[in-house]
Amino acid sequence: MIVAAVLGAGPTLYNNLAFLTTLAIYILLAQGVNIVYGFTGYLPFGFVGFFGAGIYGSSLAIVYWHVGGYTAIGLGALTSVVAAVVLSPLLRLSGAYFALATLAASQALYFIVANESWTFGESGMSLPLIFSPTALYVVAVVAVTVTLIVVFYVRDSHFGLSLRAIRSDAVSAAMAGVNVVRTRTIAWLVSAAIAGVAGALWALMTSAFYAETPFDLTISVYAIVFALFGGVRTVVGPVVGTVVLYSLYQYIGISNPQYFELIYGLLIVVLVLFLPGGLSSLVGGRGDRPAWWNRLVRHRAAPESAPEVAP
Amino acid sequence: MASGLAAASLSASLSAGASSNVITVGTLYANTGSFATSSMPEYAGLQFWVKQVNAAGGMYVAPLKKKEHVRLVSYNDQSDPATATTLYNQLLTQNKVNVFVADFGSVLTAPAVTIAKDQKHLLFDITGSGTSFFSSGPNPYVALTSLPVSAVWPKPVVGLLSKLKIKRVAILYCQNDFDQAQAAAIKGFLASEHLQPVYFQGVPTTQSDYSTIVQAIKGANPQAVLEFGYPNNDIAFLNQLKSTNTHFNFVLTPFPGQLPTLFRQDVGAKALAWGYTYAVPPILRINKVNIGLGLNAFLQKFAPGKASTVNFLNVAGYNAGLAVQAAFAHATSMSQLGIRAGLTAVSGKLQTLEGTFALNKAGAQVGELLPVAQMVPHGAGFQFKIVYPATAAQKAMVNGTPKYPAPKA
Repeated sequence: MIVAAVLGAGPTLYNNLAFLTTLAIYILLAQGVNIVYGFTGYLPFGFVGFFGAGIYGSSLAIVYWHVGGYTAIGLGALTSVVAAVVLSPLLRLSGAYFALATLAASQALYFIVANESWTFGESGMSLPLIFSPTALYVVAVVAVTVTLIVVFYVRDSHFGLSLRAIRSDAVSAAMAGVNVVRTRTIAWLVSAAIAGVAGALWALMTSAFYAETPFDLTISVYAIVFALFGGVRTVVGPVVGTVVLYSLYQYIGISNPQYFELIYGLLIVVLVLFLPGGLSSLVGGRGDRPAWWNRLVRHRAAPESAPEVAP
Repeated sequence: MASGLAAASLSASLSAGASSNVITVGTLYANTGSFATSSMPEYAGLQFWVKQVNAAGGMYVAPLKKKEHVRLVSYNDQSDPATATTLYNQLLTQNKVNVFVADFGSVLTAPAVTIAKDQKHLLFDITGSGTSFFSSGPNPYVALTSLPVSAVWPKPVVGLLSKLKIKRVAILYCQNDFDQAQAAAIKGFLASEHLQPVYFQGVPTTQSDYSTIVQAIKGANPQAVLEFGYPNNDIAFLNQLKSTNTHFNFVLTPFPGQLPTLFRQDVGAKALAWGYTYAVPPILRINKVNIGLGLNAFLQKFAPGKASTVNFLNVAGYNAGLAVQAAFAHATSMSQLGIRAGLTAVSGKLQTLEGTFALNKAGAQVGELLPVAQMVPHGAGFQFKIVYPATAAQKAMVNGTPKYPAPKA
């Protein structure tokens, strides 16, 4: 609710609604990555494929069936889920093989969409404007809120516990009675649905685009980096990671465009070096925190504990 | 962070939109990524226009009945359309620019077209000639300044094929809006003459291997081969002809005329010899203008002593500035529709270094048609000879006759 309230107040602080809506879209994508990677350990480099599927599912529904905005969002999510079902055999792979296979799958989706006339891959998609920027932002904030509730459930429920057990050791989890295939497939489909909703929102916001944009691999990279920076396996981590990094992205892009890549790249390198567990590790258990942070905290706490250690 | 952004946006507003005696023009450029080589020359042309206008004391703004200086507010979109979306919005919502100018090409222009329609803000689209931008009826908020819509480009090619009595035509095109529209236009012309292309094949825009395709075209025994691609496709196709020593009597590719330096370097003058392309400025030398500089003056002032380095995209960026200038000079008010009315007023009458500036109701450019040029060997290199005009006015610019069939190099 706090996150939703902060996002809701966003336009009063900064009224570039395209930026704020894109921020909400990236929060959704980071949460999608959080579910599939954070809770199950499968790193989906081709996550953008689900995003693109959502974009084209919703867009084609608008163009051919003239559906409304909410139906388009639902159909966008459904399209991504269908794509996830088709790609679910990839879950038999693990580690780098899984990451590369999803990457290849997303590119296969791109080439199909980009080269078919019925998907407007050649002429580009052009949608009517369905939501005003303000209305679309409100829908995006609602989508983020619902997604956060889902992630809360995934984190705290028996289902989430099963996912974490699979992440630690799938064989042991199976021996303990966890239906590994079904559980991780559900997580995979849920993350795809979230990416589909994000894609539909993006399509409604952008409305004119060519296939290379929705399937740009940079989108996958950002979603993963944002989630990792904030801290996966938490609810708020990916939100904070996205808000901080994407705002910095925008800020540097505006204030120092000539040094954009240099500054942003260095920033990410420094942050990853000193915060490998993400921002949420700073408030996590002692074992999760970076060593430098533990030292800092110990130094600050030293005066209080001094009488106990003195001879 | 939010306060930082708010502070940044406030300072930008104060420095740009809110200050008096200045007209703010917003734009994006890509100094990295796949569009950088095209975007930066275009941006340089627009910057040159701002410099020229301000050196002359500003541009005349009709509703204010006085001259105003121009301030260019620009951001780097890094060739990324998603970044471009937020930055175009930044220009409108934070910098509150008076008008905005799109980055190069249809992909980076697409987000701007949406925003222009949505926020009812006038967009000057330099080279985004995608048909979908102009196919949804009258639209007062987008104006294509530098290139006709794709489907219009091949009009003079059709005339040239007819003049040369060519009946067997092979058409190879990339599957994107720009190239497919041209291929379809030629195919339509042939159909009207009860002819079918002997080869008609689309390939992905990412195509780089043309070995089997060239053999297939050769097998169709065409009198003319028309390859519609982006620069990388044209280069790969021409290099394939060169490496396999394949000769056709007539080969047309769109981009050698726009980027001659690149093609000389990547394909070589010998392989380009006797090929055809669209003639754009500076090949097309238009000096009779009623706004801004003529082509010769532009070459001298834009790159003193280095006229050969100037390309079409430099001219296109400058030409977009001239369109902005004309719009304000004839605007009926400072509202967006008032500024657009200024463009309507000059449409068909404005003569720039690119030719006649004319818009249709959808905002598409219907003037500035491109003649066909042939690359004629000249010393160790080649020179462009305009061999077929696109308009009656261009007849005087024709300075060569098409050499057909093309001699073997």
